[in-house]
Amino acid sequence: MRSAPRRGWRRGITQGAAAALLLAVLAPVLWLVQMSFRPHGAALGADPVFVPTMANYRALAAGGFPASFANSLLASTGSTLLSLLFGVPAAYAMARHRFRARGRIAMWVLVTRMAPPVAFTIPFFLVFSDIGLIDTIPGLIIVYMTFNLALVIWTMRGFFAAVPTALEEAAWIDGAGVWSTFLRVTLPLAAPGVAATGILCFIMSWNDFFFALILTRTHAMTAPVAIVNFMQYAGWEWGKIAAAGVLVLLPVLVFTFFVRSYLVSGALAGGVKE
Amino acid sequence: MGSTIGRRQVLAAGTAAGGLLALSGKAPAAGGTKPLKGVTLNISCWSAPYPLLLAKYIPEFEAETGARVIYTTPSFPIYNQRMGLALATRSDAYDVVNVTFIFIGQWIGAGWVLPLDSFIANPKLTPADWNAADFFPGTTTAFRNAAGQLCAIPWIADVMMGGAARYDLISKAGFAMPDNFSEMPKMLAAVNGKDGVPGFLTENHYGWTFPGYLQGFGANIFRNPPHDLMPVLDTPAAVEAAGFFSDLLRKFGPRGALSYTYDEVVAALKSGTVNYATENEAFVTQMAQPGSKVMRTCGFSLFPAGPAGRFPQVATHGWGIPAGSRNKDAAWQFITWAMSRKLLLRMFREHGWSSVTRRSIVELPEFRSKLTLNGFDVAKMYLDTVDLAAKGYMAYRTVPPYPEVDRQIDIAIQGIVSGEKTAQQAMAAAQRNSIVQLRRAGVKL
Repeated sequence: MRSAPRRGWRRGITQGAAAALLLAVLAPVLWLVQMSFRPHGAALGADPVFVPTMANYRALAAGGFPASFANSLLASTGSTLLSLLFGVPAAYAMARHRFRARGRIAMWVLVTRMAPPVAFTIPFFLVFSDIGLIDTIPGLIIVYMTFNLALVIWTMRGFFAAVPTALEEAAWIDGAGVWSTFLRVTLPLAAPGVAATGILCFIMSWNDFFFALILTRTHAMTAPVAIVNFMQYAGWEWGKIAAAGVLVLLPVLVFTFFVRSYLVSGALAGGVKE
Repeated sequence: MGSTIGRRQVLAAGTAAGGLLALSGKAPAAGGTKPLKGVTLNISCWSAPYPLLLAKYIPEFEAETGARVIYTTPSFPIYNQRMGLALATRSDAYDVVNVTFIFIGQWIGAGWVLPLDSFIANPKLTPADWNAADFFPGTTTAFRNAAGQLCAIPWIADVMMGGAARYDLISKAGFAMPDNFSEMPKMLAAVNGKDGVPGFLTENHYGWTFPGYLQGFGANIFRNPPHDLMPVLDTPAAVEAAGFFSDLLRKFGPRGALSYTYDEVVAALKSGTVNYATENEAFVTQMAQPGSKVMRTCGFSLFPAGPAGRFPQVATHGWGIPAGSRNKDAAWQFITWAMSRKLLLRMFREHGWSSVTRRSIVELPEFRSKLTLNGFDVAKMYLDTVDLAAKGYMAYRTVPPYPEVDRQIDIAIQGIVSGEKTAQQAMAAAQRNSIVQLRRAGVKL
């Protein structure tokens, strides 16, 4: 049996290593945060002592960044909700119903993720130009749905498969229909999966740069593109870039914080089969 | 009773004829009419002082012509990414675009932007006094296609020159602004560290700041651009140029000289924390503007000459019409307005815009006097530099694969200045890697 002081010493080393690792991982974020509060002209300075200022955030608020931020929120939220709306029932159908082409359809859905986004850029650009969807939020939502739907269908299919069919059969015996059983029995049991999938969809849409770069101009420009626009000919506006970077981190942090318990159970669901 | 045509009948016939013409869209422009009413022009340029300034005047164009202008000025990387796709797909998304200097070979060579000669020659589309010959040949040469047709109207000539933040220290040490490569190290050795100010700096985009030295020593990037794109970076002259340039940075540069981007170089010059730089005219002349700490001590010169001659780098950007535009005539009308002598003169008089491309403006006494900074005739330096560029030595930069070599030059100079490699080793590596990259890009060598 090991002595208590030795265990404590080992725990101290482990915790110290964990803290060092955490600091290393968070260092870029922390650097970004401190940079966003540095005064104009000193954004790239390494001096640890400085008078923090909100000037960069005020400059962002006074410019076009809030509109870009709102565009990002609208496009990401819209595509996430619509992807879940269409993808969750589709995943349920593919998990529960036995039909001949089930495997092939699932594979075709996955095919949409097998090519890099750049492969779809030109078709999207040409079609969107013709039908007037360039520089619109609905246009971005449609694009984001194309890669989110595959994620929702494949992920939720696994969650639905993990829900025991006996529960649904019991509901049917009690007189519930297919939709009623799905909405009242299966979906609540798969809620952690929906939350985890929703977060992934939101993050993927939120972080998109390439499609937003090509398919928007001014009206629907998203936050990641707006940040690159701070790289001006007369100089890179480092303070604004840092402040905008911090603001872009926030929604994902807040969203993840509120659904973190779902996220953990969602990630673990189906890990152990009974 | 003979038939006679009364006044009322003449008026009625005239009104009917006018109505028919208007309905067919052929109504001739007249005082008070809006020739582009109902036309929407999509125009884009990367964010730079001139296009941002132009935005202030565009409402006047809309009011005069009736056109609706959707005008965007994204940052340089965003603009080029978007435009590359729009032009490559012959999209009608844009009617007037900036033809970016580093993409001239690709965009004009592939026919993505239209030749403008037929527009210029058409008296119905181009005012008689517009005078396309007024634009510096040094700026228009780059925009000609293989058939010699002009494909863009230049709005800027970004010329490289010498600028000193502390010319007072230079003259106190008994020197003038250096005119050639042999004077440079002598002058820098005399002033380096005086008043705590390091002597020399350039931005760390060496694919832009180094070729003037390379060519000054008689070397070049490619063997014979744009026809023969075999890199020639490892010749004795190229190695000598790389050693000379890197020595300036290593011996006279500030600490961390390799990390300075162009905006940091401008900030360092304006604050007087570095003395001398070879940089773009638009950057170095900021030293003489209000708000600069060195407003009273700055000095200017032509880019110094090397043993093989003087090769100041000149970059130009211009307005062009994409092949897919559905409003080509209206697009040209916008270009003639934006690049008219009248508007450019107003931009100079009202906002001090000085990187103009029309000789008739640069030669005006008021322009010369406004660009005489601390006694230095910067306007003359500007004219002389643009005229030098007409020789065609900038051809290396307008070939599509140049960015591949540009990166190798950056790496080579960094390697020499940091002491990792000798000039011989670094340039040999740049040569080898450039060949690999060019072959990968599909260039036959």
